[in-house]
Amino acid sequence: MSARSPRLLLPFVVVAYSGLLAPLVVVIAVSFGPSAAFEFPPRGLTLHWFEAFFASQAFVTAFFRVSLLVGLLSAALATVLGTSAALGLVRFRFFGREAVETFFLAPLLVPEILLGAALYLLYARLAIQASVWTLLWGHLVICTPYVIRSVTAGLVGLDPRLEEAAMSLGATRVQAFFKVTLPLLRSSLLSGAIFAFIISFSDINLALFLSGPESTSLPVHIFSQIQWQGDPTIAAASSLQIVIIGMLILLVQRIFRLRLIV
Amino acid sequence: MEGTGTRPIWTFLIGPYALFLLFLLVVPFANVAVYSFHPYSPTKVFLPELTLDNYTRLFDLYYGRLFVRTLRLGLITTVVCVVLGYPLAYFLARALPRVQALCLFLLIMPLMVSAVIRVFGWIVILGRKGLANQALAALGLEPVRLLYSETAVVIGLVNIFVPFMVLPIMASIERIPPSLEEAAQNLGANWYQMFWRTILPLSLPGLISGCLLVFSLSISAFVTPALMGNARERMVGQQIYDEVLVSFNWPGASSLALTLVLLTVGLMFCALFATRHASRREAAR
Amino acid sequence: MPRSVELEVCELTKRYSQEVSVGPISFEVYEGEFFSLLGPSGCGKTTTLRCIAGFEELSQGSIKLRGERLDRKPPHRRDVGLVFQNYALFPHLTVFDNIAFGLKLRRLAKSEIAERVGRVLQLVDLADMAARFPAQLSGGQQQRVAIARSLVLEPRILMFDEPLSNLDFKLRTQMREDLRNLQRRLGKTSIYVTHDQTEALALSDRIAVLSHGRIEQIGTPSDIYERPATAFVAEFIGSSNMLRARIVEGGDSGMIVVTDAGLRLCCSLPANDEFDASEDVSILLRPERVQVETPRGGTSPGQNRVSARIADVTYLGEDLHLSVDLVSGDRLRASLKNANAARGWAPQQAVEIVIDAADIRLLRR
Repeated sequence: MSARSPRLLLPFVVVAYSGLLAPLVVVIAVSFGPSAAFEFPPRGLTLHWFEAFFASQAFVTAFFRVSLLVGLLSAALATVLGTSAALGLVRFRFFGREAVETFFLAPLLVPEILLGAALYLLYARLAIQASVWTLLWGHLVICTPYVIRSVTAGLVGLDPRLEEAAMSLGATRVQAFFKVTLPLLRSSLLSGAIFAFIISFSDINLALFLSGPESTSLPVHIFSQIQWQGDPTIAAASSLQIVIIGMLILLVQRIFRLRLIV
Repeated sequence: MEGTGTRPIWTFLIGPYALFLLFLLVVPFANVAVYSFHPYSPTKVFLPELTLDNYTRLFDLYYGRLFVRTLRLGLITTVVCVVLGYPLAYFLARALPRVQALCLFLLIMPLMVSAVIRVFGWIVILGRKGLANQALAALGLEPVRLLYSETAVVIGLVNIFVPFMVLPIMASIERIPPSLEEAAQNLGANWYQMFWRTILPLSLPGLISGCLLVFSLSISAFVTPALMGNARERMVGQQIYDEVLVSFNWPGASSLALTLVLLTVGLMFCALFATRHASRREAAR
Repeated sequence: MPRSVELEVCELTKRYSQEVSVGPISFEVYEGEFFSLLGPSGCGKTTTLRCIAGFEELSQGSIKLRGERLDRKPPHRRDVGLVFQNYALFPHLTVFDNIAFGLKLRRLAKSEIAERVGRVLQLVDLADMAARFPAQLSGGQQQRVAIARSLVLEPRILMFDEPLSNLDFKLRTQMREDLRNLQRRLGKTSIYVTHDQTEALALSDRIAVLSHGRIEQIGTPSDIYERPATAFVAEFIGSSNMLRARIVEGGDSGMIVVTDAGLRLCCSLPANDEFDASEDVSILLRPERVQVETPRGGTSPGQNRVSARIADVTYLGEDLHLSVDLVSGDRLRASLKNANAARGWAPQQAVEIVIDAADIRLLRR
């Protein structure tokens, strides 16, 4: 800091961050505590609730067979969709390009709860049953814009003349793309994919409308458990999610500039 | 490789996602719009004739109160976020790179963890035997019922949406050269005067952007008010959920949803406009 | 005429880490003088300036303004004006409001503010620009607004942080003259930081040359140029020939030195220095003092004559730079004005180099 900041700034920031992180800290602490009454601070350390988590059919299905599966599929498909869209937007000039770009990023402007409701109503009208797939399509809508942003940022920093150089050495356009551009986009692709996974994995608003009996995602299950006064297994599930997401964000920060995606 | 006329290629690149969005974004909302103009029927979901009832009922007492409450809570959340977020944004904007990276991580990470989990944490903190009441007890005060009230909802919303206020303001402040701050101080301004006369006016685009963003997110929130508020003092998001999944009043839910979408998308567009306008003005300098 | 000391910097030290530090630096600035801090980047001149302005805290030492401790005050209560390198004009305020900024903070009456701003605008010749925004002004105009903004507060000292480095060459020369005239007219004590020696020489009453966080020499421009105290100053200010030599004879009227290559030169005693016989020294000789003549032999007292051959000629329009190899093997650079006598020098030509004994400067090694 070059100019002298007021002495109150640092304490304020510390207090603000404590407030921001308090719920997460509490959740993790409660998940290790022995009491079933959500006691904080916990009076002992135990892995009991984690065992309960893995023993619970509902939780395990929600975690592995729904959230994880849909998350990975979302990441993969969103990356493909988003990368080709970003390529088309950055590398080509055509009429209405800016309008298309705004349209592609529109899902970010729509409140998720409303998108969830709208999709639910459409599925209902078309008599489509709720399943992992309906959830996946919904997630793709909200995940792909993050991939587009990430890949766009990477492409903009890439010199198009590198591909031209490859072509002057005999490569076709497609070869030049796969051998030159794609490897250089690695970090943007990876970051976009990880972000897509995170968005899908932690989504609650869409999942509330699009989950079915066989396709309840982890956040939805946690939601219903909170409403029905469950036990700290909820906390264990939450802790696992916090750790996974935390590590993934750390990864993204290492390989790419976080600021460009959010 | 900017093909000016290579039409086939870009259509193949853009096509898939464009079609995808058409079917999964435009069509659903078109459907919602259609529903909103049909009357509700408990047996057949909706009747074939057209009506404006679903919209006119939004003006009666119950919905009027609902909207006013939602907008009020959204406004309170936004104001609290500004008060909390501005100093945070300034700190982050002027921090050394390593500190900034760490603090950004700590700011963004909670954003990405599902809202349910954060709300769950607050429920534990604000509960009858939670941290907050324990602190009050330690000071010799009576336990207070903090949960399931508008206050709890605002606390939850602020906690979740503060990063959305901080990030645009931080970006704005970063564009202000530190030498401007030093110049102001050299001319006799103490830090607060300098902040008020220099930083604040120059970071206005970021502030506007942040406010519009936080406001539109707040008024369309569901999870936080659903878990931390109560059914009597509900927000629009809870009403929509209720009408879609509980009372199956799809036409009614549709009119609510459409109104809310138009409002929020409109606000977000303004926010986008404000930042684009600001960056264009700076590029002209 | 005794002048009062406006600013006293005493043993100023700023430590950044174990290895990197600035100081201790000590100097005094007299009332009404134009004082420059000159040196290459990283020498500590900007740090010193920022310490005086209050944007860096001293690790050690003190700064006194007319006897009052300055370094204990926060930056907004020091009575020093600072003109920033990038001008730091407030983009959201008009020229008038920029200049009035400090006055408004002091809660002066509107009429008085208008009067003072009007006056200073006249002073910097920007009277009709009052309603414009900084983005609409040229670089030179922005500079003048920055100066006006500090001047209007009538500070005890005005400080400049490399103010001309963002301007192009012609503008720089023009602004330099304007700056000097302004300072002379107002008689305002000024401290000027620059890495450009031409600027420093042209503008200053006195210069402090800095290197690696220390002051190498303080003096008037001619002191610094004619009698550099250290090798660094000699090489930083102007160009010079430097030869290693040893004193072989000393006397009341002069000394004889012999270069490593064996060339014998006699030089007159510098005023205040005392060297011992057989001491190792560096010989300093400015290229413009190296006289090049066609060979004619004969010596005059107080002059050194050496046979030489031209190695290289560089034509620079106004000047002619010659590289000459002396018969002893030493190589010297000579700088001549492109006058009639100088035309016709060509490489391989045999010449005679004449060096006045008074032009040779000795430095301890």
